[in-house]
Amino acid sequence: MASKFVLDFPLMFLNREEAAVIDALVGQIIPSEPGSPGAREAGVTEYIDKALAGFLRELQPVYRSGLIALAEFTAGITEGRFHDLADGQQEEVVRQLAELSERDPSDFAGQFFRIVREHTVQGFFGDPAYGGNRELVGWELVGFPGAQWGYTATQMAPDFNTRTIPMLTIKDLYSRIGGAQ
Amino acid sequence: MSENFDAIIVGMGSTGGILAEQLTKAGLKVLGLDKGQDYTEEDFAIKQDEIRYYQRGAIVAGVNVDPVTWRASDKDTARILPWSAGALGNDEPLYGLPSIGTGGGTLHWGAAAYRFREADFRMKSAIAERFGADALPEGSTLADWPIRYGDLEPYYDRVEYEQGISGLGNTGGVTPEGGNPFEPPRSRDYPMPPVTQGPGDVPFVAATKRMGLHPFRQPLAINSQEYKGRPACVNCGFCHGYPCHVKAKSTTQVTSVPAAKATGNLDLRPLSRVLRINRTTDGKRATGVSYLDSTGTYREATADTVILTAYSLENVRLLLLSDINSNGQVGQHFMTHNFGWFTSILPEPTNPFLGTFNASSAVDDFTSELVPNNDLGVLWGSPIISVVGDLQPIEAYHNMDPRTRKWGLDLKHWLRDNYTHMHRMYSQTTNFPYARHYADLDPTIKDRWGQPALRITHDWDDHDANSVTLMGRYKEKIAREMGAKDYWMDSPRPPYHLSTHDVGVHRMGEDPTKSVTDIYGQVHECEGLYAIGGGQFVSYGGYNPNQTIQALAYFSAEHLLKKLGVDGAHMGVLRAS
Ligand SMILES: Cc1cc2nc3c(=O)[nH]c(=O)nc-3n(C[C@H](O)[C@H](O)[C@H](O)COP(=O)(O)OP(=O)(O)OC[C@H]3O[C@@H](n4cnc5c(N)ncnc54)[C@H](O)[C@@H]3O)c2cc1C
Ligand code: SF4
Repeated sequence: MASKFVLDFPLMFLNREEAAVIDALVGQIIPSEPGSPGAREAGVTEYIDKALAGFLRELQPVYRSGLIALAEFTAGITEGRFHDLADGQQEEVVRQLAELSERDPSDFAGQFFRIVREHTVQGFFGDPAYGGNRELVGWELVGFPGAQWGYTATQMAPDFNTRTIPMLTIKDLYSRIGGAQ
Repeated sequence: MSENFDAIIVGMGSTGGILAEQLTKAGLKVLGLDKGQDYTEEDFAIKQDEIRYYQRGAIVAGVNVDPVTWRASDKDTARILPWSAGALGNDEPLYGLPSIGTGGGTLHWGAAAYRFREADFRMKSAIAERFGADALPEGSTLADWPIRYGDLEPYYDRVEYEQGISGLGNTGGVTPEGGNPFEPPRSRDYPMPPVTQGPGDVPFVAATKRMGLHPFRQPLAINSQEYKGRPACVNCGFCHGYPCHVKAKSTTQVTSVPAAKATGNLDLRPLSRVLRINRTTDGKRATGVSYLDSTGTYREATADTVILTAYSLENVRLLLLSDINSNGQVGQHFMTHNFGWFTSILPEPTNPFLGTFNASSAVDDFTSELVPNNDLGVLWGSPIISVVGDLQPIEAYHNMDPRTRKWGLDLKHWLRDNYTHMHRMYSQTTNFPYARHYADLDPTIKDRWGQPALRITHDWDDHDANSVTLMGRYKEKIAREMGAKDYWMDSPRPPYHLSTHDVGVHRMGEDPTKSVTDIYGQVHECEGLYAIGGGQFVSYGGYNPNQTIQALAYFSAEHLLKKLGVDGAHMGVLRAS
């Protein structure tokens, strides 16, 4: 069985079980590996929950029915709730779901998968102010230094190692203009 | 309640900002209405936020408020454009409408600042001379412009110096290193040298040079050094799709609008949405506008001069909502750009998050009338532009190799291994105008104030697709020469039908039965009413539109002041009552 969802943030829209399902799903979209955190460690579920309580509130019903569609889709393949399945079984469900989403754009479960994937990427690579990208694991993975005020000509030269630039977040930038810390 | 002004300007964006500055400096009392906010420096002090600006389009007009519908042809029913604000929240907001509020589209534009070529103004004749009179696809309504490059040259120069453009000009026939040998004639050099070059551009320049092409640094409306009290670009890499936090990017929000405000003659009312243009009972003269103010109160303002600068599409919508279309030309001759995106993975790091979108070069060897003879029947070419900056990780995900499985370790490893090696190129091929491609009012879909949405009827036709394919061949050669490990390109018939480069819909011309405005933007059928901007374009080459839009704004402003009998000196007498 895949490791359990740890609820370490206050839920604003999803309930605990829904959050656990989303957490398992985003973990399949951007998986963790030893030494390389994935969407679950990045707090993508927190990002999605916060977004659904705010900017994406119009998608609340889409998520609610999407979770039902996912449960039905899972039931058509194997026994057990999605988030209780072993890693390999979850992967198999997602494989079929992803394939379906390409094959049949009118299938709701497949569309729901695409929406969650989009939000997973947002939560993984967006600024941590939104609840995801914890400890900047998304930026660390790809080598993006984040919310920089700017870059010097030296840093923009072809041979410069940009991995040496300390990563910054929006919150860090506020100190520059004398704003909230 | 009605208030009277010398002139009313609808939209404080790229065009409207310039007109406001010119008119108020001449002493006219101007009412500036904009449905968006009047932004302050404070608003954008921190803007390095991909979620807020790029994903959620914080300053873009959303289709839920400003719906635009689209259909491929007359036979279909139009639906709300799905890719803007995405019905399911999963599409990029950027291929929708430009941003709203002071600065308009220039708040978060890419700032590529091209003059059109001499041949772009006489495209129909140039095609006939080169390929024969029957070469144009059947049914095309293409025409030559009623003005020539030479007419606009002084105004292009004015944009470059007043708004601030960086580049390397090919002045007096001498091309500097990094300049463009194909550039149209110019009276003087750009006021600033180019901005810092991004690392990914270096292989593009080397490869195109080896191929015998002529790479040049792109002209940009971005300060490379302090200019007119605004600082140089700090290469933040959150530029295309973002406002500038240091005021280095030229937007009328930091150039012309503050200058207009400083005169004391501009009454700028933000969050004020114009609903219609008012005219005398015989319809022959403009008298003002009706609008909703920031509290939702219905208001009227009067002026003998009413100037629509609300973006080509909204200009058309306002004309149609006001029943101004007696010759059926309003909304016709729709043209837009097809971007032909091409992405490569280069062996060396490109670090595409560094600097502005266009911290790069382009080649004009295949542009406009320079299009090589080809087997695809392509009649007009486009620049090939290297894009090296401004690529944040979520945007990179949207541009990833379509052949890669988009979930699991494949997705994760692809982004891990390739993000810092991505290089993009694009071409900008245009459509020819056809009677079947137009904008009108949607018969069923309305905005929340009960006004019909604008409906776009447009599809990519064979010439459009072939143009992308032809340019794709050159991009492929360049990518190979750069040693790209992998590359892929967009479909030649992309899913969008608005590009933020939408033009032509209120064509200018000398014949009032075949066009909407005269060369100064005055609407033929209504004295005192002007519609200015890309909507006036008669044909469209491969360059970005905004410098020509702004040149037309200066051109029209000068004419207007002459017509009104003011030429710079304060003429308070003009103020009615
Ligand atoms: C992301 C992006 C990148 C771009 N990059 C480039 C580039 O690199 N080079 C280039 O040349 N061009 C570029 N463009 C295009 C360029 O920004 C536009 O061509 C230009 O802004 C058009 O000028 P305009 O004055 O017609 O309209 P806008 O600048 O859009 O201004 C219109 C104004 O009218 C207001 N308005 C609209 N309707 C109403 C109403 N009913 N009542 C009151 N106010 C109203 C709006 O709020 C807005 O402020 C880009 C655009 C975008 C969106
Ligand atoms: S790249 Fe330069 S011009 Fe663009 S937003 Fe950043 S500082 Fe401003």
